[in-house]
Amino acid sequence: MRCRVAVVVLAAVAPLAGVAESGAPAPRLVWSGPEVTLLGGPSPDGRYLSYVDPATRNLAVREIATGRSRLVTQNPSGSAEYAYFSVFSRDSRRLAYAWLNGEGFYDLRVIDRDGSNQRILYGNQQAGFVQPCAWTPDSKSILTLLFRADNISQIVLVPAEGGPPKVLRSLHWVYPKKMDLSPDGRHIVYDSFVDEATGDRSVFLLTLDGARERRLVDAPGNHLFPLWMPDGKRIVYASDRTGTMDAWELRVENGEPAGRPRLLRRDLSRILPMGITTEGDFYFGLRSGSVDVFVTKLGDPAPNARRATRRYPGRNVAPAWSPDGMALAYLSRRGSENFGQESRAIVIRRLDSEQERELLPRLAHLERVRWSPDGKALLVSGSDNKGRGGLYAVDPQSAAATPVVTEAGAGFRGFEGLWAVDGRSVFYLHGAGELRSREMDTGRESTLFRGARLRHLASSPDGRLLAVGEGEAGIVIIPAAGGPPRRLQFAGLTELEWGRELVAARGAELWRVPLDEGAPVRFESPGNRQSGFSLHPDGERVALTAGDIKPEVWVLPLR
Amino acid sequence: MKFRLVVMVTALAAALASAEKLAIPVGLDAYLPVPDHNPLTREKVELGKKLFFDTRLSRDQTVSCATCHIPESAFTDERPVGVGIAGRKGRRRVPRIVNRGYGKSFFWDGRAATLEEQVLKPIQDPNEMDLTLPEAAARTGLSVEAVQQSLASYVRTILSGDSPYDRYLLGDPAALAPQQRLGLRLFTGKAGCASCHIGPNLTDERFHNTGIGWPNDPGRFAVTGREPDRGAFKTPGLREVARTPPYMHDGSIRTLEEVIDFYDKGGKPNPAFDPEVRELRLTAGEKAALAAFLKALNGTLRDGM
Repeated sequence: MRCRVAVVVLAAVAPLAGVAESGAPAPRLVWSGPEVTLLGGPSPDGRYLSYVDPATRNLAVREIATGRSRLVTQNPSGSAEYAYFSVFSRDSRRLAYAWLNGEGFYDLRVIDRDGSNQRILYGNQQAGFVQPCAWTPDSKSILTLLFRADNISQIVLVPAEGGPPKVLRSLHWVYPKKMDLSPDGRHIVYDSFVDEATGDRSVFLLTLDGARERRLVDAPGNHLFPLWMPDGKRIVYASDRTGTMDAWELRVENGEPAGRPRLLRRDLSRILPMGITTEGDFYFGLRSGSVDVFVTKLGDPAPNARRATRRYPGRNVAPAWSPDGMALAYLSRRGSENFGQESRAIVIRRLDSEQERELLPRLAHLERVRWSPDGKALLVSGSDNKGRGGLYAVDPQSAAATPVVTEAGAGFRGFEGLWAVDGRSVFYLHGAGELRSREMDTGRESTLFRGARLRHLASSPDGRLLAVGEGEAGIVIIPAAGGPPRRLQFAGLTELEWGRELVAARGAELWRVPLDEGAPVRFESPGNRQSGFSLHPDGERVALTAGDIKPEVWVLPLR
Repeated sequence: MKFRLVVMVTALAAALASAEKLAIPVGLDAYLPVPDHNPLTREKVELGKKLFFDTRLSRDQTVSCATCHIPESAFTDERPVGVGIAGRKGRRRVPRIVNRGYGKSFFWDGRAATLEEQVLKPIQDPNEMDLTLPEAAARTGLSVEAVQQSLASYVRTILSGDSPYDRYLLGDPAALAPQQRLGLRLFTGKAGCASCHIGPNLTDERFHNTGIGWPNDPGRFAVTGREPDRGAFKTPGLREVARTPPYMHDGSIRTLEEVIDFYDKGGKPNPAFDPEVRELRLTAGEKAALAAFLKALNGTLRDGM
């Protein structure tokens, strides 16, 4: 209970759906709770909200007035298939949605709101991800984003009755975070980079025939998530030009900006615009709450938990102690909201001076940080701007990132890896089936262990043993120099760390796992602990991530 | 004033109407960037095409653009380096000028920022056509601006798409043979080709030092003066690549298979070498699959309106 105190304090700094401009209407909370996801949008008639049911990962529709929900799709029993982004047709009767199929890539599908007439419109492994964004007014085509294997995103029109997509615009190494089609079907608005170095975006207008493109917002800052108002004369978008993420409006006439942008509502913080109904109700998601890195005593966490981060409260995760225990590295979220990969900085906090230094390696996504044995380098799991996931060595002084091992198909979270104790090679999990060793200088690789559903990797302090999670039921202990593995039972494994003792996580819980096959012993730990913890070399302290992020759906009338 | 406005509006409408008639092959972006000051019109494109084949644009009237950019050869030729009037040799390969309307910089070293800037340079180059612009204007009876705008407009209409690769990406699984599908997976995966050869035109429009020609040609360095750009050349698009040997900016590699071998071995490291180029360790089967895939980039080549 006491550990909750820290979270409550942090939650107080999170805004509640922004600050009103004078005379502006107030937003209203439409939906909150554990079943909320923000992967859909409102129906144009304002009666329904599409979303992904978190329990089954099916496409679902919620009736806004009554709160009644129903599943629209039924994924096959025992399958890993699931729904993702969705958008209603203009008559609110059909839905276009992304569906991860059994082959591991996303189809574009359509289905009636009542779950009938499901149909696959497009699917291709080389365009591994699709995001339907809007239907044309005649409902004959669906404006869609394709994300190709070569890390190109494409704005395409997919015929709603089937047939090859028409490519309108290709964008290198960037994907629009939102795209919408004007009510008259003539103009697309989308956001894209204007400055790759800063990641700043602006809003662009593209005619549906592809004949003309125009940048709509020229002001400095990050402008994104554009949506058309139902009158077709204005767009609404999010911008951080004032220093906070605000909602803005811009008049557009004949495909050109008309007048200056107007601030609608300040400080919407972690906003994810979802859609605007024909009545002008602007639905948006907010990620409320916070997560932060705390330092506490292992096994006695709550009384002594204190926030280990100074800046950017509420957006810090994935701590890692330096080998000498004098520094703590963690990841700190930057920029605007997203699904999947997000912009993160590495922050290194010195314990003696309490000074923090921020590193911004040129990587698209950082998932996890591990120190080298001499503390002079960081091993980062993540992906670069060309979509190659893997492991990168990052210089803690210059932030220069050097690929250690990368693959185009590795996924944006990269490989889970750690340094060998000699600092000359790394161990990493390749896919879910192999534990590999790779020499840094020569690139020579060897496979130490093959298994199924391998996740989570830890090394004993002397580097002689490696621990790998196998499925959710067991831990495999493998000699780093080779030799027969042995298995320990641990049900529900979600994380592994190895300090003076082997510690496993089961959700929020932390457990000591004896190597002599004795029964695991539970440590007391915060009930809102999130994934990401690191054991201090002194064997007593632990840095952990705790807090709660709750997605909520809000509506702001913009009539 | 009112009359001028009407004329401008009429011209704009005509330009837009003509622009709509440009048939973009399947797989390419419908959005073809056209500068506001040079809208695409049928008249300009037709004039540009005539000029493209007009030998009067060279000093001795023996060479036209099409002498080196041969339409039947995907708008390049078969020689390692360009050859201009009186047999004068250039030092770089004649680039395929397909889909250059989507380009962001022009020439192997990117020294021209626009097509309009690019099209006049070969006319003036002593090793190519060796004519001053006033001379070119006088010979054709056109203004320099008209020559420039019409040639650029025509080049914008030289497009290649609708290849098996395009049809596969757009949903026809049978468009690529199994070996070609493997080649595509390698292209975007293990072989790392898509680190630079990306998008519908299979180029990042950036500059990379692979070691080819090092240290004889400064490449991009001659434009920027930046040491990291030394020996770097623009990534060529790969449309129609299988039928346009020899390869690389100096035409030094004769076959696609040899190009794949070159990259498989990790290029030719040098002080300004691009870290994107690394040893690939491809098997013989993988190399064959890559070559088979590259052949799927031959598509429908069209020009004019």
